[in-house]
Amino acid sequence: MNATNPAPGKHVVATDFDGGEGILVDLNTKKYYQLNETAMLVWRGLESGKSTHEIAVDITSNYEVELDRATLSVERIVDNFQTYKLLSAE
Amino acid sequence: MALNTISRGWLPVDAVVVEGRPGLWWMDMSGVSLAEPFFQQTVDRAKAENNRGELFTEFDVLLQLEKLLDSVSPTGFIFHSSRCGSTLLANACRAIDGSIVLSEANGIDKLVARFVTDAPEGSVKESLYSVFLRGVVHALGQRRIGNERHLFVKFAACSFAQIHRIRRIWPHVPCVFLYRDPIETIVSNLVEVPPWLIDKDRRILASIIGATPAAVAGMQLEELCARTIGGLYSLAQRVANDKCLLLNYNQLSLPIISNVLSFFNVNPSAEEMKSIERMIGLYSKEVSATRPFVADSESKEQTASKLVREMAAKWASEAYRQLEQKRLERS
Repeated sequence: MNATNPAPGKHVVATDFDGGEGILVDLNTKKYYQLNETAMLVWRGLESGKSTHEIAVDITSNYEVELDRATLSVERIVDNFQTYKLLSAE
Repeated sequence: MALNTISRGWLPVDAVVVEGRPGLWWMDMSGVSLAEPFFQQTVDRAKAENNRGELFTEFDVLLQLEKLLDSVSPTGFIFHSSRCGSTLLANACRAIDGSIVLSEANGIDKLVARFVTDAPEGSVKESLYSVFLRGVVHALGQRRIGNERHLFVKFAACSFAQIHRIRRIWPHVPCVFLYRDPIETIVSNLVEVPPWLIDKDRRILASIIGATPAAVAGMQLEELCARTIGGLYSLAQRVANDKCLLLNYNQLSLPIISNVLSFFNVNPSAEEMKSIERMIGLYSKEVSATRPFVADSESKEQTASKLVREMAAKWASEAYRQLEQKRLERS
């Protein structure tokens, strides 16, 4: 695990729903976020300590998508998590 | 911190709104068996017994508890069109060793109602309420003794209208839909009017019968009841499949109840079947379980008013006929 990997905040609870989708709740703000399948994959990847690159590689093995595009997608999703203060740097 | 307080034994006894915040009302139900025919009767008993702890939380607690509580997954769901033997079936499930029966628990049915009042199809809130519903069933189905193996949920009659959303959460849980002759059902509901038929929030019934809340408010109870059960019959006719068993009140007997339990993948012992046999001879909704059951189909047919017959014929009889046809085709 890379020491600079973003990690899910301890104030956030994730739950799976409807196959691969999920819901996040920020316990500090009481805000809820609905995640699509890809965003949930990213969240679960971060939970298990993976880097954005590793998560992107995982995505390419599950979906027909090039690594460059998967990486961009993962970074965009992680940026969103950061914007909403759902992550804590570890 | 609410999560620390809600240790094993606390149950969400109601879905409420406190100071504008929607959430759950919890009660310390440690040591309280869910023995009564209805969940609320158990809650009332527990409240009367002594000063139990109570607490309000917002819904997010459910998501945290899902990861903490050891719970039983649902074994079977009981749906019904009101006054048609569903309480007897729930009581029969309760006779099974290691079973938890949640009979019309407010926390469950009020969350189901929110699909209608607060969560348009496809909205984020629809997903949220689905997760909360799963969470409240998980919390109510927690192992409080340790030997619990089966979890049966009997929903309120109107909740059946949300079967598609409930199935989306639990696609593999078998369910049974109980129903009864429309005239008998309407007469029973008029003799003792249930809260759902006079609910001031008319949106639930409006969604079932396909009318506006204002139109519902102006309807006589005979028409409203007939249209509601007609709507539930039609829906049952559409959704019945290998995972959804149809059961008419007039079929209820020990062998049929045994079949339903088998359908739920439960095999009762001889002793449990004896308990169920005793239940069949008793009025199912009474807490004391001492009042003998008296068959009343004939008297209900005889006492039905002209208006009841008209409304049943106009709004429910054809749907009932089709439902019966489907049940017979499938048997």
